Amino acid sequence: MSCSIDDLKAYVVGEVSRSERGVVEDHVRGCQSCREELDRLNLTRSALTSLEDEEIPQRIAFVSDRVFEPRWWQTIWHSGPVMGFASAALLAGAVLIHGFARPAVVDAAKIERRVEAQVSTRLDAAVVKAVSDAQAKQSADFAQVLKATELERQADLANFQQATEYYEKQLHRFEVASNEGPAQ
Amino acid sequence: MIFREVEDRDLIAKARRGHVEAYNVLVSRWEKRIFNYLLRLVRQREDALDLSQDVFLKAYQNLKKLDDPAKFPAWLFRIAHNEAFSLLRKNRPEGEMTVEPRMAEASGGLFPIEMKLAVRGALDRLSDDQREAVLLKVYQGFKFEEMAEILACPVSTVKSRLYTALDLLKQTLAPVKMGGAE
Repeated sequence: MSCSIDDLKAYVVGEVSRSERGVVEDHVRGCQSCREELDRLNLTRSALTSLEDEEIPQRIAFVSDRVFEPRWWQTIWHSGPVMGFASAALLAGAVLIHGFARPAVVDAAKIERRVEAQVSTRLDAAVVKAVSDAQAKQSADFAQVLKATELERQADLANFQQATEYYEKQLHRFEVASNEGPAQ
Repeated sequence: MIFREVEDRDLIAKARRGHVEAYNVLVSRWEKRIFNYLLRLVRQREDALDLSQDVFLKAYQNLKKLDDPAKFPAWLFRIAHNEAFSLLRKNRPEGEMTVEPRMAEASGGLFPIEMKLAVRGALDRLSDDQREAVLLKVYQGFKFEEMAEILACPVSTVKSRLYTALDLLKQTLAPVKMGGAE
């Protein structure tokens, strides 16, 4: 290390690292002028620190002004511990309510039986409805066929009556002609 | 020291939420340091006391702007620096020269009161910037980086002001001390 007054000043005011401190001390041991300079700087620092702090003549204090004080809800809202406690209490309450509201043990067999019963009921109802619908449809078809057959039978009957009347008239006509013919 | 920092942080957090009493505790911890820093800078007790009150009022009003509570000391001294130099600029016209330092006369043994007067005299003969650098480093123990934040200037400027001040103080105080020891 070469002679550097700034390094000595940094050393005196405590702005050197431990390694730099060793370098300065080694240099000062072998350098008369730097040792004297360091002595003067240390004396200067000692003189400065002999000046003690004075007591403040009047304590500084601030009085709470209600206008600027936070409202109660702002105090709670901005209070981390209080909000944390409230959140924890809310969570605990929710867990308790949830625990009491639902059954503690789930009976799978019971649920299975209930589901089976419901399915069976619905299946029966569906079958009954399907049978009923089929019967109704069959009845309707039968009635329609019956009606068509009846109409066809009535039409045949009408034709037969018409034919019968025609032959009766023809027969009557032949009888009249036979009674009047050979007499000439 | 670590516990102290934690406690300060808690007090700052409470004060930010409007707890004036928490802030008063914070003030009671720092008022003596701030007052002595201002007293040695502006050299008038009444001014130093008024400025101290202004510093703590401004700090309270701007506490929410403090990003890192760990930097509260440097932040507080930054406010104090601004207040002090605002007053110094008002009281002293620009360009006025400070008294040149004079060589201390080698004298016989100094009593403590005389030493204090000599130190005060030597500090008074420094420029405001040089004196402030000495106050922040020697009396308040800030690091160069913190001083640069407080003074809003580069670290190189901080070093320059401090080293020049030490040279001037050394001329005044070291011969007196050495003479007194003889």
